[in-house]
Amino acid sequence: MGVTVLQQYPVPENKTGTYVIELLTKRILALGASQQGQFLVDCESYLSHPQMGTTKTVHIFHNSEQPASVFSILDTGSKNIHVIADGLFDLLMMKLSQHYTSKKQTKIESKGPRFELGDFCIKLGSVTMNQSFKGILVEVEYRPCVTPNAVWGLLREFLQGFLGPSVMVQAPQHLVSRMNEIYTPIDTIYQYLEHFSAYRKITGMRSA
Amino acid sequence: MNNTTINVDQLNSALNSLRVLRSSVSHVFETLSNGLRADHGEDGKDKFLLELQELLNNVNINLRDLEQTVNGLPIPTAPFNLGTTTYLSQETTQDRQALYTQLVNSYKWTDKIHEYSSFAHTLLSQNSLKRSYINSGSTKRRGKLQSNHNVAPLLVDNVINNIDRSYSDMKITISRPFASNAVVQINLGHVLKAIVAFKGLLMEWVMVKAYGETMDLWAESRHHVFRKVTENAHAAMLHFYSPTLPELAVRSFMTWLHSYVNLFSEPCKRCGAHLHHTSLLPPAWRDFRTLEPFHDECKQ
Repeated sequence: MGVTVLQQYPVPENKTGTYVIELLTKRILALGASQQGQFLVDCESYLSHPQMGTTKTVHIFHNSEQPASVFSILDTGSKNIHVIADGLFDLLMMKLSQHYTSKKQTKIESKGPRFELGDFCIKLGSVTMNQSFKGILVEVEYRPCVTPNAVWGLLREFLQGFLGPSVMVQAPQHLVSRMNEIYTPIDTIYQYLEHFSAYRKITGMRSA
Repeated sequence: MNNTTINVDQLNSALNSLRVLRSSVSHVFETLSNGLRADHGEDGKDKFLLELQELLNNVNINLRDLEQTVNGLPIPTAPFNLGTTTYLSQETTQDRQALYTQLVNSYKWTDKIHEYSSFAHTLLSQNSLKRSYINSGSTKRRGKLQSNHNVAPLLVDNVINNIDRSYSDMKITISRPFASNAVVQINLGHVLKAIVAFKGLLMEWVMVKAYGETMDLWAESRHHVFRKVTENAHAAMLHFYSPTLPELAVRSFMTWLHSYVNLFSEPCKRCGAHLHHTSLLPPAWRDFRTLEPFHDECKQ
């Protein structure tokens, strides 16, 4: 497991998401990458029943990179608590439907082609919520390194070179406080949560 | 080399024209000695004279040819020193004449050997590999040195533990899965893990892998960058190899390996970038002396 950075790629006006994905695919193939299948990250959020006091949200994530795991993040409003469980966790959530109700209309996912280039793994995801296109998320993983602090400069150089000078590449908010810690898959999920929450707040496409 | 081949060609053609001249002269004398022949017919005298004139003309032409080619030949700067081979020309026995070509061939051969060995000498003197005891001097010292392959485990432990203590971010653990020879695992921060097999106090094998990978001596890392680092570590192991001062060799190698602590964070000193534009690898080479990071492609 290496360090992953998730970056939003702005879709230019009067261009479609497929156009951007094709553009980025062309660029990444020109660098010498090879396509290694598809990927999918999805998120479903459940709201706690009002009887249970203050409203809490549980976000359930699946990531095709860790197919046997279910990631859940409990958002209490003040802090996030995460649990990583195996696939049965989905069934448990169904049992809890009395206490946690699913907000079906906010089910959001990012999916698209997955590439490998040397020690990098690049995923070009189109984000859709309820079948409507919301934007592009580019995920870049550098696999040999485990601490974000050491590898951030290198990743920024790669992202900047690959996405072009028009994109501002900044360290993900989630990573800033834990730059010296060892990176784990849940850190990727937190980054997706950040971006998905931003997408949900905006109607239409996200430009920046 | 080119000049001499041209000279040989010219010389060859000069010799050829000399031979042609000789044969035409001998033809003249042959015709003269034969005198009038039956095929000259009745007024044979005139015909004979005409034939003789033609032959003499031929001789003239051939002579002019010879003169031309000889003029084209460069004048030798010094007399040829043929050594004892000069006596060969005085040899009259037919079967010994063949010696000359053999002699020329063997001369060419030794000349080539001389040339190649001088090239080899200049090359080898540039890369002194320090692999042998040749320069180590006295026999007394020699006797002591040979024991470096067979050092008491305690001594090896001491040397390695001393190195371990001098770095706070490099953890070295010793195990002995193969009888008395140590296998040393090095954890360098959260950056890499390396495993080094020792034979006595001499390093025999290095394998470098990522922080999260399982360690064993033979399987390569799944990451390109660590395969490159392993390659470079082998080069360093050979560079620092010194059977006369094995402790220094181990210590220098460890110092060198320790410089990989900034493998991902330090850009290349030459091009200033983290990733090389074609290989997309971080600077995986460390200079042996300055320990500065370079890309493999930038290190020259």
